[in-house]
Formats: sequence, structure tokens, C-alpha cells
Amino acid sequence: MEQIALAAPEGQYSLWALFMQAGLIVKLVMIGLVLASVWTWAIVIDKMIAMGRIRKAMDRFEEVFWSGQSLEELYRALAEKKTSGMGAVFMAAMREWKKSFERGAKSPHSLQTRIDRAMDLAIAREMEGVESRLGFLASVGSGAPFIGLFGTVIGIMTSFQAIAGSKSTNLAVVAPGIAEALLATAIGLLAAIPATIAYNKLSGDASKLSARLEGFADEFSAILSRQLDERSAKQAA
Amino acid sequence: MKTGLTSSVVMHAAVIGFGLVSLSAPKPMQVADVEALPIDLVSIEEITQIQEGVKDAPKAERAAPTPTTRPDIVPDAEKAGDQDRDLENEVQPDVQEKQIAKTQEAPPEAPPTPQPAPERPDPVEPEPEPKPAAEPTPEVAPEPKPREEVTPEPAEQQVAALPDVAPVPEARPERKPQTEETTASTPKPQTAETPNRKQEPAKEPAKKTASTNPEKSIEDEVAALLNKEKASGGGAKRSTDQAALGGERTTGGSTLSASEMDALRQQIQKCWNPPFGVADAQGLRVTVKMRLTPTGEIEGRPEVVSGGGNDGVGRAAADSARRAVIVCSPYKLPADKYDAWQDVVVNFDPSQLFR
Repeated sequence: MEQIALAAPEGQYSLWALFMQAGLIVKLVMIGLVLASVWTWAIVIDKMIAMGRIRKAMDRFEEVFWSGQSLEELYRALAEKKTSGMGAVFMAAMREWKKSFERGAKSPHSLQTRIDRAMDLAIAREMEGVESRLGFLASVGSGAPFIGLFGTVIGIMTSFQAIAGSKSTNLAVVAPGIAEALLATAIGLLAAIPATIAYNKLSGDASKLSARLEGFADEFSAILSRQLDERSAKQAA
Repeated sequence: MKTGLTSSVVMHAAVIGFGLVSLSAPKPMQVADVEALPIDLVSIEEITQIQEGVKDAPKAERAAPTPTTRPDIVPDAEKAGDQDRDLENEVQPDVQEKQIAKTQEAPPEAPPTPQPAPERPDPVEPEPEPKPAAEPTPEVAPEPKPREEVTPEPAEQQVAALPDVAPVPEARPERKPQTEETTASTPKPQTAETPNRKQEPAKEPAKKTASTNPEKSIEDEVAALLNKEKASGGGAKRSTDQAALGGERTTGGSTLSASEMDALRQQIQKCWNPPFGVADAQGLRVTVKMRLTPTGEIEGRPEVVSGGGNDGVGRAAADSARRAVIVCSPYKLPADKYDAWQDVVVNFDPSQLFR
């Protein structure tokens, strides 16, 4: 700890010099914060891309779904593809419907609940993928400043110990250690601010997507229940 | 996830690289050097106890101005007046203009003037005048002073010579050169000097005026002319010591300043246990005289000069005072003023203890 270069010569206050002067703990904190920042941005970029894709897919599916195409055809067209989003919800419901009719289900009420449940599951599965890793953003947003502060406190502590050893209160002796320590807080804030903003935006987007999926599921469930009623009316007649 | 991670890494690398290149060390702050103000602690004694010396005199133990040569005033004077000695005639009003007229009208009275002149201290020159005095006349006219006029009677021998002098014209030509040459100096010395110059071959007075004038700048002369105030206040510039350039030692003055006196008082008061519980505290005033060595130690035995008494209480007071003085030594006093505190007289007054 005492090997910290006090009163570094002029021109040694650049970012790199400050980083190199720092003690081991402070260095580790800084590196960890930089890595957290990298991962945060990776998540942000990834989520942005993924959510945009999901939204577009939903738009396309809704267009097809409300185009008046028969559900059977749609099911058959989607069966070969790997589906996501609304398509996955639709497929889950249709699969349940098909299975029930293939085995000759008696009660339309139980079928209705089964379909609803299948759709809820599908929505949950879809949203799980969308919302995954958002928790990391939240953690960085709230935790990074504290981690940076920890690095700062440690840095200032060690620099004060070194100052006490040098027996001088000259500002030139005090300043480098504090500047170097404050760098840790700066990096922590640098990681935390984008993380917080991105988390708020992405979680908002995710809840919007989930609302849209649930809306579609409700509508589809209404359509299916109408069909069931019609069938039961036919059977009765 | 790969795209996000790679793009993030690239972005961070770019930002850090940019930071390392462009965000180099901030320029060191330029702080203007503030010059420290030199501060001297000046004690007032340097001004209040300043001593005058003479520039061309040798160094002596103490600085001293030129010794004054003023003769003593006649101790047993019987008459009131401005003169240095008793004169027979009566005091006359001070009228300068009329005197000249008088001298002209009545020449016989004027001539005796040479006598008063030698008595006046400053001009030594008047003395030689009477001796060459085949014609003492020139002196008559220039003297407008009342003093010289008053004196005529005592010198009666010269009256005979006067009639020769009588012609006024001689006196006037002499006055003109005076006014032309020495305008700065006051009229009195001039009138006294001018006649000398004419008569005496040795030109001492001329030298004097010459030596004083060139040294003074015009400003000084103007100031002297304008300044009609008489010097007042302060001590007389008078000393009986040999003239000296300055003291050999640097002294802060020859007497203890008030603060130094207070310091001494405090040093002593610390050690003083006055006799308490005595009804008549007024009677317990004790004066102790002691002699100190240059290091502040007491030399010999402090002596009770006054106060105390033979009764028990008085003796106790005297003893307590003497004890205090002894216990407190050595005293811390400015060494360069040893002369001032070689002998110290301390007054112990219990009634003023609790102030």
C-alpha cells in the first residue's frame, strides 16, 4: 500500500496513469466495473435488437391472423416453422384444440380452460426470454455506484495512510491519491447511469409486449370459445 | 447475444481508447504567486525614546547632540525683562522701525552698542569690533534691536567718538547689500554680521552665511520663510555630554517602556504573598530597593526603603515584599537597557493588589 507513488510528476494525471497508480483493490474494482459496463451494453444492444424483432414479428402475425385466413390453414403454415411471440401462443392454443378434438373431448368448458392455460404458459415462456438479463441491468444500475464508492473509499484510505507516512500535508501529496480514488466512483457511475436508463426503458417495452401478447391471447380465446359454442349448438341440434 | 456483446466490447474499447488519447492530464492550475507582505514588529520605544546624535562626531556610549554653549542666566537677577542680565535702564517697548529713526536723530546714544554684543553668546565676532574701532560708526546704523539701544548709557567713554560717526549716509549703504545677499536669514543676525564683514578683513560671517545657504535647498529656505511658528513642545535640544554620532550599542531607549515595566511588575506580583487579614492595609505599603546584575539576578540584599514598621504586621509586610523580590529573581528584562533597570525600586501596595 505504501508503494503508491505520492506526488506524481506532472503529466502523470492522465486516466491511464491514475489507473496504474491505484492499489490492487481499487484496480480490481475498476476492472470489475468496466466489465459490468461492457456486459450492460451488450445486454442493452441485444435486447433492443430482440425486442424490435419480436415487435415486427407480432405486427406481421397480426396482419396475417386478421386477414380472414382460416385458422386451420394458418396452423398448417406455421407448423413447419419455428414460432415465437404471438405465433407461439397461437400454436400452443391450436395444438391443445387439435389434441382435444382428436381424442373427442366431451366438455367444452374444460377445453376452454385448458386452452387458456396453454396460452398463459406460452406467454410466460415467451416473456421469460424477453425479460431475461434485465435483472442484471437493474443490479448494475443500483449496485455500481456503491461498488465505485467502495473503491474510492479504499483508495482514499490507502492514500491517507501514505500521506500520514510522508508527514506532509501538502496538497500535491494529497491530490493524486484522491484523484485516483475518485476514478473508481466515476467508472461506477459511468456503468450505472446507462444501466438504469436502459433497464427502465427495456422493462417498459417488455411489459408492453406482454400486454400485447395477453391481449392477443384473450382475443384468440374469445374466438375459440365462440367456435366451441357453435359446435356444441350443432351437436345439440 | 453475440452481436450485442461484440458491439459493446468494441464500443467500450473505442471510448476508453478515445479517453486515453484525448483526456490526458488536465493542465496544471496556474496559481499566481502572492508575494508575502513583510511585516516588522516595531516597538514604540524606537520613536518615543529616540536620541539625537551628531553626524561627524565619533561614537560614544550614548548618542548625544552638540553640547549647548548657552551661558547661564544670571542667578540673582533683580529686574524683570528679556535680557540675559540686569540692566540699569528701564524696559522699553519693542518697536523696530522707530529705532532706526532714533539712532539717526540722536547719534550720541547709539555708539555704545559694542558692549552688549560681546555678551550675547552666538556671535563671537562683535568683540573684535571695538578694538579696530577708530570709527565705530558703521555699527550704529544697522542695529535695529531694542536691546542694543537700551544699553547706551553704560558706555560713556565712546560718546566722544560719536560725533564723527554722525553722518547717516554711511549706515544706509551697508544695509542694502545685506538685503540683497541674505534674504533667507532673519534680520537680526544679519544686521549684527554685516558690519563685521565690512570692517574685519577676516570674513568669518560671510563664510557662515555662505555655508548655511548653499546646503539648504530652495524648498528649505521657502519653508523657513513661511514657517513663523516658534518651535514648541518636546525637550530642549541640549546636553552636557560630549557630542556623539550614536551609541555603541543599539538600545531601545534608555528608559523602560510601559510594557516592560508591566512585565517586571507581573514577574514580581506572581511571587508576592501579601499579608492577608490585616485591618489597616493602607499602612502596609512597602518600598523595596534592589540592585540587579545584567543577568537579572539580585545583587546584594534588597533593602526596604520605606514602609513596613516595627510592629509585627509591618515587619511581616516588609518581609513578604523582600521575599517576593528575592524569590522571583532572576528577572527577564531587556538586556540593552541595563542602565535603566540596574537599580529598581518596587512599591508593594496590598490595597492595589486586586485590580
